[in-house]
Amino acid sequence: MTEGIALDLAAAQADPDGFAALAERAGGTVFLHESDDGGLDPWTTAVWLAGRTEGVRIGLPGPVLTASPEMREKAYESLEILAGPRLAAQIQRREGIDYDSIPASLADVAIAPGDPRYRGRKSTYMRGGSPGLVFRPRTPAEVADALAFASRHRHLPFGVRSGGHGISGRSTNDGGLVIDVGAMNDVQVIDEPRRLVRVGPGATWKQVNAVLDKYDWAISSGDYGGVGVGGLATAGGIGLLSREHGLTIDNVRAVELVLADGTEVRASSDENQDLFWAVRGAGANFGVATAFELEASPVGEVGWAQLTLVSPDLEQSLKQYGEVARTAPRDTTVFFLTGPPRQGQSVVQMYGLVDSGDADTIVERLTPFAQTGLLAQQQVVVTRYADVMAQAADVGPGGHHGRGEPIARSGFLPVLTDAFARDAVELLRSGEVFFFQLRHMGGAIADTASDATAFAHRTPEFSVTALGNSHEGLDRAWDRLSHHFDGLYLSFETDLRPERLNDAFPPATLSRLRALKRGYDPTNLFRDNFNIDPEVQK
Amino acid sequence: MTDYGHDLLFGTFVTPTGPEAVALAVTADRAGLDLVTFQDHPYQPSFVDTWTLMAYVAAKTDRIRITGNVLNLPLRPPAVLARAAASLDILSGGRIELGLGSGGFPDAIAAMGGRRLTPGQGIEALAEAIPIIRDLWDTTTRDRVNHQGTYYNVAGAKRGPSPAHDIGIWIGAYKPKMLALTGRLGNGWLPSMDYLPKGADSLPEMNARIDDAALAAGRAPTDIRRLLNFMRLDGGPAQWAEQFADLTLTHGISGFILGGDDHKLAETLAAEVAPATREMVAKERGH
Repeated sequence: MTEGIALDLAAAQADPDGFAALAERAGGTVFLHESDDGGLDPWTTAVWLAGRTEGVRIGLPGPVLTASPEMREKAYESLEILAGPRLAAQIQRREGIDYDSIPASLADVAIAPGDPRYRGRKSTYMRGGSPGLVFRPRTPAEVADALAFASRHRHLPFGVRSGGHGISGRSTNDGGLVIDVGAMNDVQVIDEPRRLVRVGPGATWKQVNAVLDKYDWAISSGDYGGVGVGGLATAGGIGLLSREHGLTIDNVRAVELVLADGTEVRASSDENQDLFWAVRGAGANFGVATAFELEASPVGEVGWAQLTLVSPDLEQSLKQYGEVARTAPRDTTVFFLTGPPRQGQSVVQMYGLVDSGDADTIVERLTPFAQTGLLAQQQVVVTRYADVMAQAADVGPGGHHGRGEPIARSGFLPVLTDAFARDAVELLRSGEVFFFQLRHMGGAIADTASDATAFAHRTPEFSVTALGNSHEGLDRAWDRLSHHFDGLYLSFETDLRPERLNDAFPPATLSRLRALKRGYDPTNLFRDNFNIDPEVQK
Repeated sequence: MTDYGHDLLFGTFVTPTGPEAVALAVTADRAGLDLVTFQDHPYQPSFVDTWTLMAYVAAKTDRIRITGNVLNLPLRPPAVLARAAASLDILSGGRIELGLGSGGFPDAIAAMGGRRLTPGQGIEALAEAIPIIRDLWDTTTRDRVNHQGTYYNVAGAKRGPSPAHDIGIWIGAYKPKMLALTGRLGNGWLPSMDYLPKGADSLPEMNARIDDAALAAGRAPTDIRRLLNFMRLDGGPAQWAEQFADLTLTHGISGFILGGDDHKLAETLAAEVAPATREMVAKERGH
């Protein structure tokens, strides 16, 4: 508790100037006390007092009354922008969190509403959040302490965050807890002959590949350098090098994690093999990863392409893209992105990578893709994978400031059929989708057996994602396509209907995961991200 | 020719961007303007919360009157707003007015956790909110406040605090139903010139709708002050003064609020335009 004095809001009403003078003289923290008679509005008085005094910290009698949590956060944020950090942190407590029991070991890394660091930690890249407490541990021991705290707060939402890029949005919440491993972001080459790299879960792929670039190495990651290691390396990682070097999880050689009961364990093909299997695809259900050992691949110069095509016939373009992508060599990965057609035409953005520094090879590989529509614009450069990742802006201590929530659906497409192309065009015409993406799969992704990792979707041609404006609208439009899909990628899915779990994990995978969950997290502490409930019998 | 005879108010329309908005308010205060007003779009990430800004500005200014222009009702529940407005009126020594609107941009409001209303529902909600606000301000009786409405339920709420002065409820209105509501329930009308369908030529008809509704409710048209926002003005201070005086004498406009977020403009408005307008109007009014 901060030292301070209590001032009655009724006194402020009788003599505002005297009230401000008294607060200024008292210094420290002034706790506004609300008497039964009502008196002045606490928030209005607090803000006015912040403007009338220098440096006085103000304690509110309770959370600010607003139309919504979003408006409450906006009010707190606004005062901080106008007057600096002036609210005493403990007064912005959210219900149901025992702030007094935060262990001393976490005092420096516990960020509650009102803390100046809170603004940068409450939200993620694509989603606004207002958790009641964010832990930002620096060591596995601190992760264990945070998990012990979380296990005493099972009535609250509980998210685990690495880079905060997740579309599924499980890494922030309203009023709950978050463990943010962003501070554990070391990148270290530990065995050069074996190209083994030890990486903290909070590092971004931009940071990882910047280190690897000096060795002419790269690790298959997603398509954006700002994404964090932890999320991708426990969920899948479908990116620009996956067709040649496998998913991100296929390059993981060992994981260190803290389990629900605080135990620190290492999982690899030699130890805790079953956990190693589970963490590669369903990691969020099993623990908090604190380090990964990854095997990098030799990657030199690459061709990086961004093509803009105009298509008067999207159905035809999609079919053609499907054929070209299907027969492309493994060194070539091209993603397809479009939105609703305008005036009968679609604008298609294709972006991708050719793992070759040879200009002729790059042109040869890209030409068939460029012919699937009318090429309106192109940018093709010979560069480094690290430079492609480096296009992501650094986030820094200010954190993410996403607002609202993304609404996304995901599906794995075994084959891009003519019927799918037709239905995809219908989907885009529905007006419910403003972003429609196909990620090119195949190649090395399918070299690993479906039962070798908890990520089982090894053979689709594409991972398909749509973003929309409303859950109802997008679900209605997307569900019409469901017969084309076999499974979904959990990182790109925001639908919370329970049957989505069966899309994320096929039956055999799910039943093995459930059995393992009973062993590793029997009390279901990790429950907010495609939860595999240990109690549900098959 | 309608001149409702109100004293003239001059002020600024400030974008709520944070410290710069406070600086603009301080300039307006020092320059001697009557009003500083803030638009209210809390869903806009680069804007601060307008109520928080108003409370902070009240602490940083001495004389100027402060209002939202206009506050977004779906994001500001009336019972909370009533207590907040009365409190700030007390803290500021009676310098708060309450500009209110029914709220546009339903998607953005919903994204901030507000209720998604159609324009028609927004008007009904505003019609419910105003009596709640006035009842909560009225401490001449100790009876609890009860309102059972479609949009707001207030059950046994304690009254007070009572504001330091009679806070004016100024309504941002354009469509016939909103204009009628303004005449029935408002103390002021606060539209923007740029949004009037025919510019100043719209004023006679819109004023008439307010007047008719006021009369039908047993009120006088002069009970409703007419103010006008200007996002941009052509010409110079002398022309503005003439234009304002004409708007006062012909259409009864008695509040002139300028956008632009420009310190110099605020000073010119106070030092040149306001006195010149007042002089012309005084001469015509014959006193």
